[in-house]
Amino acid sequence: KDKSAASKDSTPEEASKRQEDGAETPKQQLLDIIGNMKVEVTYRKKLQQLKASESKKQALNKLEGADSEGSVLQGTAEDTQRGKPLNPELVKAASAVASSLPRNKKQTESELLAQLRRHEETTDKQKKGGTINIRNIISEMTVKRQTPAQRSPRVSGRISLHLDEDGQRIRPERSSSQSIDSRRSLKVGKRLNIFTKASTEPEHALKTESSPTIWDLEFAKEVAAVTAQPPRNGFEEMIQWTKEGILWEFPIDNEVGMEDDAEFHEHIFLEKHLEGFPKEGPIRHFMELVICGLSKNPYLSVKQKVEHIEWFQKYFEEKKELLQEI
Amino acid sequence: MAAAALCWALRAARQVLPSPCPRQVRSYYVDWRMLRDVKRRKMAYEYADERLRINAIRKNSILPSELQEVADKEIAALPRDSCPVRIRNRCVLTSRPRGVKRRWRLSRIVFRHFADHAQMSGVQRAMW
Repeated sequence: KDKSAASKDSTPEEASKRQEDGAETPKQQLLDIIGNMKVEVTYRKKLQQLKASESKKQALNKLEGADSEGSVLQGTAEDTQRGKPLNPELVKAASAVASSLPRNKKQTESELLAQLRRHEETTDKQKKGGTINIRNIISEMTVKRQTPAQRSPRVSGRISLHLDEDGQRIRPERSSSQSIDSRRSLKVGKRLNIFTKASTEPEHALKTESSPTIWDLEFAKEVAAVTAQPPRNGFEEMIQWTKEGILWEFPIDNEVGMEDDAEFHEHIFLEKHLEGFPKEGPIRHFMELVICGLSKNPYLSVKQKVEHIEWFQKYFEEKKELLQEI
Repeated sequence: MAAAALCWALRAARQVLPSPCPRQVRSYYVDWRMLRDVKRRKMAYEYADERLRINAIRKNSILPSELQEVADKEIAALPRDSCPVRIRNRCVLTSRPRGVKRRWRLSRIVFRHFADHAQMSGVQRAMW
């Protein structure tokens, strides 16, 4: 990190120098500058920083492209870690590099820009895809084979129905098209849908939900009773309580169960709901006071406030004849 | 497919089955008065919004008084158990109507019993 700081400090000066001493072996100076610009930041840190500062995305992409140009031109076998410099002078460096090369300047510039674009695309893809795709693929790749005894208490999302308490294998009596024998069978597990479309999945889902026989339920109850062991220590007890809802989740989220996605202006500016009321008179006055009170109320959701106003509307409409007499 | 079916069935079963750890579950209320109090609380919760709105019309100096009289009659016509005034904070364990501390919802006798057996968290005998 010290190197990068030093390089950041040195590059603005040298960039300015470079632009001044254009005549004196600019290529050599450029190469010196690029050699000094060793901004070594690991790729992981880069990912984290990218996630943190999304607003600087585009600027950073350009800089990455520029830096990679510099490393490509340098030709040294540095670490394959991409730099993430925060120095905007590097953008100028790319154009200066193109201008300093002896070949066709415009061609080199266009090539550099094309490479920049490609790098932007790859970084965008990596940002969005990221580790999630890898996990999908690796999820099916089991390395170890565990003994059946070890597998029985493990109840993951995919229930492995292989075992009884005796350790013998039980085959489910359901449709035989599922081969759940070995873990490495081809049809088991979540489909990645790399090669085929996901059109067949909803059919399967419909079939399963329409035929839960009593035997299925009984079997499920049996499995649940066997696998739900009493907690061995206080931590497991607390986990169980949290699952049941007795214990809150920490750190405490004040908005659990309250999903108010409305913006603040929907809470405060409620005059548009007042269209059903007469424009003048005591009722309007009253309703304006109601709306003033509701706008200051942080405890009700927008839906509740709207219902409140609509109740009043209905009420006053029912009493319309009475009001006409007055 | 069978695995998915089983997952679904398991989730349903888990909701039906009580947890295997034994825990005391109270299935009756202590006495009929407590039951009536519970009914009153439920009704008060149901009618709370309506009562609030009708009262807002009544306690008003802007609306005409005829409207307020009509609102008076309406609120009187609501079921009697829907008003919150009829709720009595009874002791949760013994249904004692008097001597109940609000923070613990327990009557003084039960509170003392539990505190002496060190079953009330953070409660200690006063000595100064």
